[in-house]
This record gives sequence, structure tokens and C-alpha cells, in this order.
Amino acid sequence: MPPVLSAVELTKRFGEITAVTDLSFDLDAGSVTGFLGPNGAGKTTTMRLFLGLAEPTHGRALVFGRPFAELERPGSRVGAVLEAADLHPGRTGRDHLRVLAPVAHVASSRVEDVLALVDLKGAADRRVKGYSLGMRQRLGLAAALLGDPELLILDEPANGLDPEGVRWLRDFLRGFAAEGRTVFVSSHLLAEVAQTVDQVVIINHGRLVVESALNELTRRLAGTVRVEAATPDALEAALRNAGVTAERDNGALHVHGVTADRIGEIALAANVALRQVVTESPTLEDVFLELTAEPPS
Amino acid sequence: MREQLVSELRKLRTTRTVAVFLLVAVGLTLLGAFAEGLSPTLDELAEEDQQRMLIGGAATQAIFLATFVGLLAVTNEFRYGTIRPTLLFEPRRRVVLAAKLAAAALVGILFAVVCVALAFGAGLAILAARDVDLALTGGHALVLVCGPVAASALSAMLGVTVGALIRNQVGAIVALAAYSLAVESVLFLTFPAVGRLLPGQAGNALAGLPDEDLLAPGLGAAVVVAWTLAFVAAAVARTERSDV
Repeated sequence: MPPVLSAVELTKRFGEITAVTDLSFDLDAGSVTGFLGPNGAGKTTTMRLFLGLAEPTHGRALVFGRPFAELERPGSRVGAVLEAADLHPGRTGRDHLRVLAPVAHVASSRVEDVLALVDLKGAADRRVKGYSLGMRQRLGLAAALLGDPELLILDEPANGLDPEGVRWLRDFLRGFAAEGRTVFVSSHLLAEVAQTVDQVVIINHGRLVVESALNELTRRLAGTVRVEAATPDALEAALRNAGVTAERDNGALHVHGVTADRIGEIALAANVALRQVVTESPTLEDVFLELTAEPPS
Repeated sequence: MREQLVSELRKLRTTRTVAVFLLVAVGLTLLGAFAEGLSPTLDELAEEDQQRMLIGGAATQAIFLATFVGLLAVTNEFRYGTIRPTLLFEPRRRVVLAAKLAAAALVGILFAVVCVALAFGAGLAILAARDVDLALTGGHALVLVCGPVAASALSAMLGVTVGALIRNQVGAIVALAAYSLAVESVLFLTFPAVGRLLPGQAGNALAGLPDEDLLAPGLGAAVVVAWTLAFVAAAVARTERSDV
């Protein structure tokens, strides 16, 4: 079975500006993948390339092994929400879905189902111009779900949602993936997706930074170990001799790049008594900042 | 294709655009009928050409406004971004364009049927009120019924292609209005031999307007169809290639 999504040396230029450069990654079914990067990293462009809304300058963007335009009844394979504003303000929520129902090859009853699913039944007959950003997001999601797709592609879906809405979205996406379906969700805020995603694809300046399972990523990047010793000066000297850097913070030392075990060994060899050793695992935010940091110029 | 057409027709039904434009067309048709029916003297009104202006001239409002409905059917999608959901469910852009052309043509026919019926009703009522006999021959009457319907359908399709080519709503409206109300009229008045070959004047010929400088209705039809085909070809080329 081909990967659900596959970027192959994907490059997109807009005139002088290169939005995506030589991007390659695959996505397997049944996962929630966070597509992360700062604003302007090329996330939306990449999604548009996958969805056939833009043509790659070079390389290929494949969905279920094929270019999007070659999918039969794409609405029943892929659901996507790119911008919450992709709605006609003068049309009601229900009519927005009724317009799309024939091309999604679903009956009108399905419109009512998805309205109920995103909790918009009460506002369905109001014109979209009176909707909050969160309601627009939910209406966009309802449209994406019309055809009961196997893959959801969502661009910054948490924008405009209140904390309750974010929690609802998280539970919904987990449930969606638990049925063996696949979610590809972009965000520039890690905290938003940290509890939702199984794996991450991080890009910056249109280039792949890392593609990894979430837990592997946090494990791979060693955290900081905070050590308190009876004689901090002696410990700092011993660490320096072992080639380990540490920062002094009052009586404590913040040690980077080594495990607590190794610090214990160094302290033992130097005859320093340790009072407290705490491993501070990195937050996803730290990982993100570290990976997308500009190289010093 | 059938599903896409149903979707396009629902798009047109679920906003107020079509209703508002139809209402304007109805108003302008009635206004035109009163102007052409009440200002001429009784002798003038008894002439067939004046009666053709009374009925046919009023119906041209349908054609003009149907063009804008076609234009808005495309530019609204770009203005509000609904083109993205549209293409996610039907990525074959040719199919979407064809459905939009068909839906716009149907709206054009609706506009023309309503306006022609109104123009005939108002025209005949004015003639009766002023006690003038109907001087229309059967052939001219037939052209005044069928011509605007065909011209309005083709104009709405032309509007779709202009929208697909320009995309920016304000730009497309300004371009179309400036062209129809200024460029083409001036050209037609100064160089009728050239001006009558332009789509708007060829459409007026097809609609059966009595003007010596216009082409014959059949020739006008051929010229409008040729323009429409050329614009459809250009719109297909632009739609197939560009990013949205």
C-alpha cells in the first residue's frame, strides 16, 4: 500500500521566492502527524501542493500514491480545511454544506449528520457572516467530513477556537485516527498539538528540519540536568575536566548534553557528594525552538 | 458533471446575488418599456421599428445583467475562497468550468424569459392604452422572443469566462462595465463596421434590435457564438494552469 501522503523532492517557487525546497517525507495510515514550523515556513504551500491547488515547480506531491487530481471521488478519500475564511458570508452554514453535498456524493441527511458532529445545528440557518472564527473552523471541518474521508488535512485548525474547542478538536482527531484513519495537521504552536500528535514533520524556510515520532524526538534531544552538590565548585571543575559544560545558577548547576547517570559517575570519581539530581525533560517547545533556530551567522 | 452542475445551481440559489440582479433586470425592463412606449408620438409608435425597440430594447437589460451574474459566479469563489472547497471535491477544473458555464447559461435563459415576458406584457399594454395597433410581423416577433434568450445565455457564459480570466472581482466588474458601457459603444458609434462585430453589439443583433448598423440576427448569433468559444478556450487555458 502506498503511503497516505508522500512528498518527493517537492519544490515550489513563486517568482523569486522559494516557498518549499526539496521536501521529502512519507506519512503512514492511522497516525496523527503534526506539521510544524514557524509562520511562513511553507506549511500552507505544502498542503496546497498535496491538494492539487498549486502545481509543484519540481518534484511530486502524492496522496494515496497519486496526484490529488487523479483520485476518484476525492471527497470520500480526503477532507481538507485550509482557511476558515473559505466560506461565502451570505450563505447559511447548512447551505454551504448542501452546495457541497452533491459533489461529495452524499445525501442531504449527511449534511445534518456533520452539522450535529461539529455542534452547529443551532446556527445552521444563520448566514456565515454572523459566525465567530471558531464556528467557521467547525463549519469548514464539517465540509471536510461530508464524504467520510480516510485522510484529514487541516491547516492551523485551532486558530480561533476557545480552550474548550481545542480540547474538543483534540479528542475528535484522536478518535478519527483510532479508526485507522490519518490526520495531517499543521500548527505554528507546539503546545496546541503536543497532546494530539504521534509524530511530527518540522519544516523551516521550506526545508525539512526533522521527521520523527514524537517520543523519539523528545528522547533524542537530551534535556538539562539540574544538580546540587555539597561543593559546587569542585563539581563544576570535575565536569569541565570531563568535557561537560555546566551553568551556575546560585548553588545549583545546569548541565547540558549528558545523562544523570554520567553526572553521577563524574561526581563519584571526583569525590563530590550530590544532594539533588533532577532531569528536566525538554518541552516540545524547547525542541521546536532548538530545531528551527537560525544558525548563527 | 451532473453533480457539479447541481452544486453550481445550488450556489446560485443560496445567496442573494441572482435574486437581486433579477430584480434589477425586471425594474430596468419595465423602465425601458415605459420610456420607449410613452415618449414617442402616436405616429412613431405605430411604426414597426419603434415597436421592436419597445419590446426588444427592454429585454436587453436581461442580457447585460446576466453577464454580471456569470462574472460573479466565478469571482465570488475567488473573493471568498470557496474555490478551494470546490476544487477539493472536483479537482478536474474543466468540469468545474463547464458546470459554471452551464449554470450561468440557465440563469441567462431565466433572466431573458422573465424580461421578454415582461417586455411583451408591458409593451402590448402600452400599445393598447395608447390605442396603437400592433405592427410586429411574425418573423420579427419570433426573433424578439428567441433572440434575447439565446443572447442572454451566451452573455452569461461570456461573463463566466471574463471572471475566470480576471478572477479579481472588482477588477473584473470594472473591466466589464468600462468595456460594455464605454469602449464598445464608442467603437460602435464611430466605426460601426468594426463595432458591430464586437460581442455586445452582435448580441444586440441576435436579440433583434432594429438598428441598420447591426448585423442580421443570424449573423449576430454566429459572431456571439464565435466570441464565446474563443473566450471559453482562453478561460480553460488559464484555469487549467494557474494556482488557486
